[in-house]
Amino acid sequence: MKKLIVIALLIPMAFMLLDCGGKKPKAKMNDIPEWYLNPPMAEDAIYEAGDAAKQSMALAKEAADARARDAISRTIEVKVSNMLKNFMQESGLGNDAEALEFTSSVSKQVSNNVLNGARIVKREMKTEGSMYHAYSLAEYNLNSLIQETINEAKKQKALYNEAKANLSFDELEKEIQKLEAVGD
Amino acid sequence: MKPFSVFLFISVFVLLINAQELIPAWFEELPEAPAGFHFAVGYSGKYFDQSLAREAAISLAVSNLAKQLEARLIFELEEYTDGRLRLLNPSFELSYDEYHVLEINKNFSAVDSSITRDGYFILITYPGGSRRHRNSSIVKKWGSRPEWTIQLPRSEKFNYGIGMVSNYSSWVRAWKDADEYARFDLGKNLKITAQSVHAAQQDNHFVIESKILRQSYNEIIHDSKIIARWYDRENDIYYSLCRQPR
Repeated sequence: MKKLIVIALLIPMAFMLLDCGGKKPKAKMNDIPEWYLNPPMAEDAIYEAGDAAKQSMALAKEAADARARDAISRTIEVKVSNMLKNFMQESGLGNDAEALEFTSSVSKQVSNNVLNGARIVKREMKTEGSMYHAYSLAEYNLNSLIQETINEAKKQKALYNEAKANLSFDELEKEIQKLEAVGD
Repeated sequence: MKPFSVFLFISVFVLLINAQELIPAWFEELPEAPAGFHFAVGYSGKYFDQSLAREAAISLAVSNLAKQLEARLIFELEEYTDGRLRLLNPSFELSYDEYHVLEINKNFSAVDSSITRDGYFILITYPGGSRRHRNSSIVKKWGSRPEWTIQLPRSEKFNYGIGMVSNYSSWVRAWKDADEYARFDLGKNLKITAQSVHAAQQDNHFVIESKILRQSYNEIIHDSKIIARWYDRENDIYYSLCRQPR
């Protein structure tokens, strides 16, 4: 009887040992929000989704929000640079010849934008084992983008006017210097 | 005392500390203050001396009101990913004017207060002298899940932000953090600088993706208040909703 109890206790422990230290549990497909897989589309707004799995719920939320906003930022403007390296070599004679081909490519995307009114409109928090998996949906109203462009244009105009004003003062100073030189 | 009894006693004690079952109605949903007045909520955990609990709750309510009037928020988040390692580093910095605290301390009054099994709650008004709220002293259980915990409210008049935290041993700390995160979330929804570099290196065998992401803002936020809270007992998640007029 004692042996049976020991075996009964050992079996679940063995399963637990086999289970720990393994891979991270994956999100079940039916747990993933529909709006994450297929973000909504609209004429007057951009939608992008982000997700993150972390031990801390607050961190998971921050990371998912940041990734969703980053996707918005890259949708608005991104500078892409690509580099492709190709290396080919053949050595040996006739049928014994060996060919070697190596291709390497590097792609870099850089974005830097100020987002006015990029809101996280939907969030879902799932648990996967001991991890929190956060899903965030960011919305960027295109009216905000238009307003931002107008503001930027106004700023540029103000800078231009300021530069123009400085230029005329410079000219005035030059004229004064000329007059002073004549006076001497 | 047998070890099992000790374990049971400790478990029940911990559960009692963490649990937050009954709350004043105005803690879940902040009532609209009369024109020209501001309401704010303060709370504290269990104290042997009730006067100390009240003092701690008032002190928190006053600082909450000061933040509500004006707060400088500095947020920065950096994430590095190189295909194998990930490093995420968010930082939150909030400061508010000492002048506001002194002014509020001089001229506030308590609208209502409640003592529950979990602690002390107080609703204050500034400037003092507002009439007692009609729904005062109603202590209730948490209601069903509000819509704002799933979807950010849409409004032409207000901006919103949501704070969420989980796995806290103290409900007081959990609400303090949820409230702060909600305020920072509102700030992020208003204006944020987003910078990132994504690089993908691919050869015959491997693809290595690396990413550097940086998001930040430094803004002064006026008139932002925590207007609603909700506790998800099932998943132990604390939610706060912050609102600011546009």
